[in-house]
Amino acid sequence: MLRCKLSLPCWLPLMTGLCVLVLTVGCGKNPEAQFAWRDSTLDLLPKAREGVETAVNDAFGTPHDLVAWDKLPVHFGGVQGVVQPPAEGEKLPANQFHVQWDGSPDGVGAGSELLWMTGAIAKSKHPTAVVVKYDDVTKTLELKSKGEAPAAGDRLAVGLGSQLQLGRMVYMKNCNHCHGVAGDGNGPTAQYLNPRPRDYRLGLFKFTSTLSSEKAAREDLDRIITYGIPGTYMPSFLLLGNNDGGKEKAAVVEYVRWLAMRGEMEKRLVDELSGDYSESGLVTEAEKEKKSYADAKSEYDKARKAGNKDAEKPEPAQALSQLKKAAGEELKKFLEEDFPGTINDTSDFIADAWKRADDPASLIVPTVARVTDDAASRERGRLLYMSDKAKCYTCHGAKGRGNGPAIEDFWKKPGSNDTYARRGLHDTWGNPLPPRDLTRGQYRGGRRPIDVFARVYAGIKGTPMPAFGGTVLKDSDIWDIVNYVMSLPFEEQIPSAKPAAAPHMAATEPVGQ
Amino acid sequence: MAGRFWAIFFMLAAVVTVGFSAIGPEFRWWFPGDGHAHSTLGKKIDDLFYLILIIVTVTYIGTHVVLGYVLWRGAGIQKNDKVWFSHGSHALEVIWTIVPSGILLFIALYQMDVWRNYRVKSYFPPKTEAVAEVTARQFEWRIRYPARGKKLQPRPQPDDIYTVNDIRVPAGQPVAISLRTDDVQHAIFIPELRVKQDAVPGLVIPVWFEVTDTGTYDMVCAELCGWGHYKMKARVVATSEEDFEAWKANAAKEQFYDGLPAAPEAVAAKAGDE
Repeated sequence: MLRCKLSLPCWLPLMTGLCVLVLTVGCGKNPEAQFAWRDSTLDLLPKAREGVETAVNDAFGTPHDLVAWDKLPVHFGGVQGVVQPPAEGEKLPANQFHVQWDGSPDGVGAGSELLWMTGAIAKSKHPTAVVVKYDDVTKTLELKSKGEAPAAGDRLAVGLGSQLQLGRMVYMKNCNHCHGVAGDGNGPTAQYLNPRPRDYRLGLFKFTSTLSSEKAAREDLDRIITYGIPGTYMPSFLLLGNNDGGKEKAAVVEYVRWLAMRGEMEKRLVDELSGDYSESGLVTEAEKEKKSYADAKSEYDKARKAGNKDAEKPEPAQALSQLKKAAGEELKKFLEEDFPGTINDTSDFIADAWKRADDPASLIVPTVARVTDDAASRERGRLLYMSDKAKCYTCHGAKGRGNGPAIEDFWKKPGSNDTYARRGLHDTWGNPLPPRDLTRGQYRGGRRPIDVFARVYAGIKGTPMPAFGGTVLKDSDIWDIVNYVMSLPFEEQIPSAKPAAAPHMAATEPVGQ
Repeated sequence: MAGRFWAIFFMLAAVVTVGFSAIGPEFRWWFPGDGHAHSTLGKKIDDLFYLILIIVTVTYIGTHVVLGYVLWRGAGIQKNDKVWFSHGSHALEVIWTIVPSGILLFIALYQMDVWRNYRVKSYFPPKTEAVAEVTARQFEWRIRYPARGKKLQPRPQPDDIYTVNDIRVPAGQPVAISLRTDDVQHAIFIPELRVKQDAVPGLVIPVWFEVTDTGTYDMVCAELCGWGHYKMKARVVATSEEDFEAWKANAAKEQFYDGLPAAPEAVAAKAGDE
């Protein structure tokens, strides 16, 4: 029998072991970050799912292995250049050559990673190299020698993807816990938030300065990150990367755009396939067939009983396995013949849309300056607010308190005849969305007059707030509405839109001028 | 003599701590920033701190000298030496009760002036104007300033100017902020100005300070307010009176921007700001 007096030599190792155990509880490898797939992707038939996942992974990679696809309008970072022939009479070693850069070669130096884009090395098994030295005066690059010499005219990129990588680092540190690794708005802290964090995967952002048909511009995302969204849990990151010249913020903007593109790519590809090749779709179809067969069968039996010998015997319903087999064959053909084209078209569409968003032509620029903010303008705004033309009151309420009659309606889900289970408005993501209470003076998309103008002009993307600009309302009408709406928080202090108050209000100076 | 060795060893620990404390400020193991307070009240608070530090240091060294003496003496006691009891000495009890009480009472009375100046509104410096209303919320600071030439009103005004996580104040004059919270308890903490004050739901708490040097100072939340507590970083930018007014004018221009291409001088002003 082991006998142990509680003396020093006995309990010292015991306690030490216990302490080590307590201190290291929870230590271990962290779970690997993954881009979560949509439920609809997971619902696809295995082959279809594989097709989508491969297409998206090829174009975007995984959180640990990002892919910088130059088709996408994302500033991946790094600089590209072309190998120049050596000057006449100049003799350079095989691993040294002159480069003409497309941009400024800041950050190119010892240790930079180089990727050959064209030429013989680009087609070889190892199209990468490491920079040993770079001389900016003679524009000479020296590589760790691998025996192969590039030819003049070969394209190369140094530090490709560095901005995306920095963006990932910033995102994982600050955004990931709400917006999720894949930007699906489903991070660990998301469950505590109301409103829910944005799910980027529709490629939609609510508060933009662009026309209603356009995506968000880089500057819009930058504004949201810098100033936050009052009234939600999106905080201000004004001091993010403080004193780094805006590097971190620019990087995270690119990363968010990139995640949005990835999410939209996945969604569009799945939508292409889920009609015919999803598990749940086939189950529904099998049940439908079974039911229609049962109906037809009972009809047939009735007809036979009634003595009708001409009645046609219905075809028996196909079992789920049969349906799956048929779909699988069809799918195989589709994936081989049509799917590459679909991938190409979808990525073209997404790349074009995001490229257009930063085009100055997509920006909302009022054709007239803000109408002087006086009682007359506010009154015109109020009348428009209550008119059948704009119908603002139906959602925002006659007094702007966000309690219009529409919040009592059962709204239809977009693209179907079903209604939401709850009364009131919903956004495209399916979350309940109360119309804004305009008397609180809280402006989620910014409080500059141009911000409120843009909300009315282009609507709020992904919400029932419609676009009025260009068609329903003239720009001067919208300014009247802006003036009225922005006076609502102060109704008690400045009798804004009441005609009786007009005489002495008319002399009031326009706000902020 | 093992006993004497241990006596010296433990005294060494006291010497090392005093030594580290003495050279600490040289290595910036001290107050944040450059180690000095950058507000008038902060300097007084620092004076109090150093006073207490001196008292504590003298006490610390004194007690360790006595302790070292006792250890040293004790280590030299022979087996047959007679035991001496000090327990139950009325005179000693009276001394070490009265002396610390006296010191504590002195500190309590001596600091009242600073505390009153910091917390009691009627003892704020005369003509202390509220420059901004600072509203803490999970997880950021939203700040509201009155328009140029106007006074801060308790309720928002149409021409108020707003910033987030960015407090601007003029340096060289006492200014106040009205501290509020939208949700839970937060606390404003500007270490270099020695300003710290809880924001309590339902209360508007005036906090005054006079920044002595222009510059940018860190500001954080000092009350664990939720999972995003660490995100509540902000800055206090103290500028000269003219720069403050110029900033305000520019901020107003930006806030009331109506989307039309900016006039050339506005662009120039913006470029100068950044």
